[in-house]
Amino acid sequence: MSTMGHALGYDAAPAFTTPARFFVTAPLFGVVAGLFLLVAPDLLASRWTPGALALTHLITVGFMLMIMVGALFQILPVVAGAVLPAANAVAAVVHASLTAGAAALVWGLAAMQPDVLLAAAWLLGFGFTLFFVVAAVGLWRAPVSQATPRDLRLALICFGIAIMLGLLLAMVLARGLGLPLFTLLKLHVGWAWLGGAGILLAATSWVVVPMFQITPNYPDLVTRYWAIGACTALVLWSVAVLADVSYAELMLVLMLLALAATYTITTLRLQQRSRKSTADSTIRAFQLGMASLMAGLVCVLIAHYHDHAVWPILGGVLILHGGFVSVIQGMLYKIVPFLAWLHLNQAGLKAPNMKKLQPDAPIRKQLRSHMVALAALVVAVPSGSTLLVRAAGILVLVEFAWLFKNMIGVIRAYRLARDA
Amino acid sequence: MTRVVDARGLEPPQPFELVMEAIADLKSGEHLTVLLGRLPWPLFRVLDRDGYKYEYQIRDDGVVEIGITAP
Repeated sequence: MSTMGHALGYDAAPAFTTPARFFVTAPLFGVVAGLFLLVAPDLLASRWTPGALALTHLITVGFMLMIMVGALFQILPVVAGAVLPAANAVAAVVHASLTAGAAALVWGLAAMQPDVLLAAAWLLGFGFTLFFVVAAVGLWRAPVSQATPRDLRLALICFGIAIMLGLLLAMVLARGLGLPLFTLLKLHVGWAWLGGAGILLAATSWVVVPMFQITPNYPDLVTRYWAIGACTALVLWSVAVLADVSYAELMLVLMLLALAATYTITTLRLQQRSRKSTADSTIRAFQLGMASLMAGLVCVLIAHYHDHAVWPILGGVLILHGGFVSVIQGMLYKIVPFLAWLHLNQAGLKAPNMKKLQPDAPIRKQLRSHMVALAALVVAVPSGSTLLVRAAGILVLVEFAWLFKNMIGVIRAYRLARDA
Repeated sequence: MTRVVDARGLEPPQPFELVMEAIADLKSGEHLTVLLGRLPWPLFRVLDRDGYKYEYQIRDDGVVEIGITAP
């Protein structure tokens, strides 16, 4: 059955600056994460120290969520055909509240300031809800003809749940709300990592990996059932956590880990069948990301049986910095110059070659610095040496400052081409 | 005879460039068929903007077939 083309609201397509502001802000939170490690290397003694919680949220909210939301402003129209109402104005407000919210969250956690924490939770809750409503309107109007739009919806719902749980956590810490802290914390981590970030990563991969890495499509079975399976397992796991049935909880954790492993192994296999003659930096970043995710999952599994404080921290470093940050950086280097090129073209301007908008050499160097920073963290965490953690901090700082510089470079090249 | 542009298996922005080149050669009322691996929403926006008529179908093998008619 064929579908007639219909007006998608060309004028409603968001401007290039709409996602760009998120892409420029996010690396700055990474720079601050490096500074944290440099100034307070003992914060990695346990995952529950105020410094470790602040560090985690610098990466998860300041870097990951910031980029994911910014990218969605463009991915939804480009990949899913969704038109977000008043995208440019909404993005400005969402960006401001996410930036202020992330900064307040880090401050509130690091200094254990209940009021600041609560303000952070409201700012983030407001920013995300506004984005959620606008994205939902766009997505619900878009035709669900392929798996990605459906899975993006699921990811948004999971993020919403994670943020609500975060808000409750802030109320418990700041206002003494009578809810079990540890249970809430567990649910918050589960829904944020696998629910929000994991499903969003997978849904984006369904499109970005075959599109930019010239691989076959993901198997039907995976794109059709993976995200729904992960969501169902998360709901059952949450019930097991709330009912305190530890046997069922463990079984469901294993199921969630198996689902995460299925995604990583499928992606690595597809990349082996890429028709690109040489693996470019993005493929390498993805491979590093997938390998780190697998190693991180093993650490999480060990942490279930072993009490040593190092396993959850190493797992966190491998999953967040090694897994998500690697893949996000790899995707950014494909998506940002492509968007710049697309915007110039759609505006009827002569767009330069994509390599001119984002040359290969700075990407390779920055991704190499990311790899070195990750290796340094993996060595520094188990060593417990403050000197090594400080050195890793400097490398993290350099890595994110370099990413910032590269993002500014694409924006500058875009402006030059636009104004030429 | 309808011209066919098979833009599957190419890295962006090559499919977009190929189609833009091909439609630039079309005379009013002429038809072009494009084969792609996914729905090209940015291309649809440009076709809308420039007044081209188009329809698409997703075949059972996942290939997206787009018929474009020049204004």
